[in-house]
Amino acid sequence: MKKSVSLKVNGIEQDVMVEPLHTLLDVLRREFKLFSVREGCGVGMCGACTVLIDGKPMSSCLLLAGLASGHEIVTVEALAEGNRLHPIQQAFVDHTAFQCSFCTPGFILTTSALLAENPAPTPDEVKEYVAGNLCRCGSYVKILDAVLDAAGRLQAEPQTVQREAIACPQRHPQHQWKSPTP
Amino acid sequence: MSAIELREPRSIDEAVALLAQHADQAKLIAGGTAVVIMLQNRLISPAYLISLGRIDDLRYIRYERGTGLHIGALTTIGDAQRSPIIRKHVPVLASTFGKVANVRVRNAATVGGNLTEADYASDPPAVLVALRARVVARGPNGTREIPLNEFFQDFYETSLAEDEVVTELIVPEQPARQLSSYIKYVTRSSEDRPCIGAAAVVNMDEDGVCQDLRVVLGAVAATPQEVTTAEALAHGQRLTDDRVAEIAEGYAAAIKPLSDMRGSAWYRTQMIKVLVRRAIKEALQGPAAS
Repeated sequence: MKKSVSLKVNGIEQDVMVEPLHTLLDVLRREFKLFSVREGCGVGMCGACTVLIDGKPMSSCLLLAGLASGHEIVTVEALAEGNRLHPIQQAFVDHTAFQCSFCTPGFILTTSALLAENPAPTPDEVKEYVAGNLCRCGSYVKILDAVLDAAGRLQAEPQTVQREAIACPQRHPQHQWKSPTP
Repeated sequence: MSAIELREPRSIDEAVALLAQHADQAKLIAGGTAVVIMLQNRLISPAYLISLGRIDDLRYIRYERGTGLHIGALTTIGDAQRSPIIRKHVPVLASTFGKVANVRVRNAATVGGNLTEADYASDPPAVLVALRARVVARGPNGTREIPLNEFFQDFYETSLAEDEVVTELIVPEQPARQLSSYIKYVTRSSEDRPCIGAAAVVNMDEDGVCQDLRVVLGAVAATPQEVTTAEALAHGQRLTDDRVAEIAEGYAAAIKPLSDMRGSAWYRTQMIKVLVRRAIKEALQGPAAS
């Protein structure tokens, strides 16, 4: 039976109706239209569904939406400011640290948490931290370059996460969300 | 959709009361990394899902002179891994917690949940049995302590009663000069469950004579395996290469391992010989090694 739950996503609190077994992954995509969060394996191993919960990376495929109230939920949509990419995103673009980019939001959020915990990681520390994010296209070498570069950029220019954030892309004036013509 | 109901008790007593009330129709959920998968695969279909997530008093890490390390059951594996208290007093445990799955799972999964799940292919149980740890369980009639070597009964089965909740993990104070190691041997990818987990705890006197050896293997059978006859070969002896090899052979001979997607029984028998040896040698190298 559906129940209302209040979820704080990308800084904005919103009530949604959820079934008890709906995962946070289901709800972020269906209700919040945050398509950066993806299902890869459904069992917490691949990292495509990574979200930050109170700043910590977790698998949204293993979190029940009905139990997620009272926490800060952040997806990659919150990182850019309008058209200005976050330094981590910019580093990924500059190094072409992706091919199909399905895994990229997961890597970027994990990188954001890594660099908050350890601002100057060694390559081995990076590899260990992002070991749980899988890239089937094999962009790992470029991803490592991008993460190490991002560490340098963030040390030069620290970012804050406390910004006006957007819960649903279609509510943002810059995103003209049109359904595909049938 | 199923008629499952979520419940979020605010205290341990409330959780115990709900368990007692709903008995076999209720399932506890903590971090959810195991339970959500079981629910999705229809391995379980409880009528009530009792979340422990709002019970803040079960999140703590304390060290007490005399009794040792006390970890609240809802402490996440990630917090335990990063804890300066655990890193200082029982470093092998902190590093073992760091080997569980991946960073996301560690941020959600709890120490209590990991133990009560009793998955045979899990890292912390082998180390905790080697450290002679125990859990505190609370039921409607009070609390009791259960040593971990008695706690794990079979695949996904513990000696907890239906209306009991694990509230704390206690790791007793360890001797100051104790040496220990844990090797997580994986056969597939880095974040995989172990094919074999080998924990070694060694206590030697000043002359390098072994007073006590414990080796516990995880992921080879339904529950963590310790072969006391093989360990006895070390007591009062120096741990030479030959002696260590003999102990490893003793483990391989005494254990009947399982086959699964991470390795056949035959393969595990071969690797038990290797990993018992490696775990003891790694422990002997001292703290700098691991």
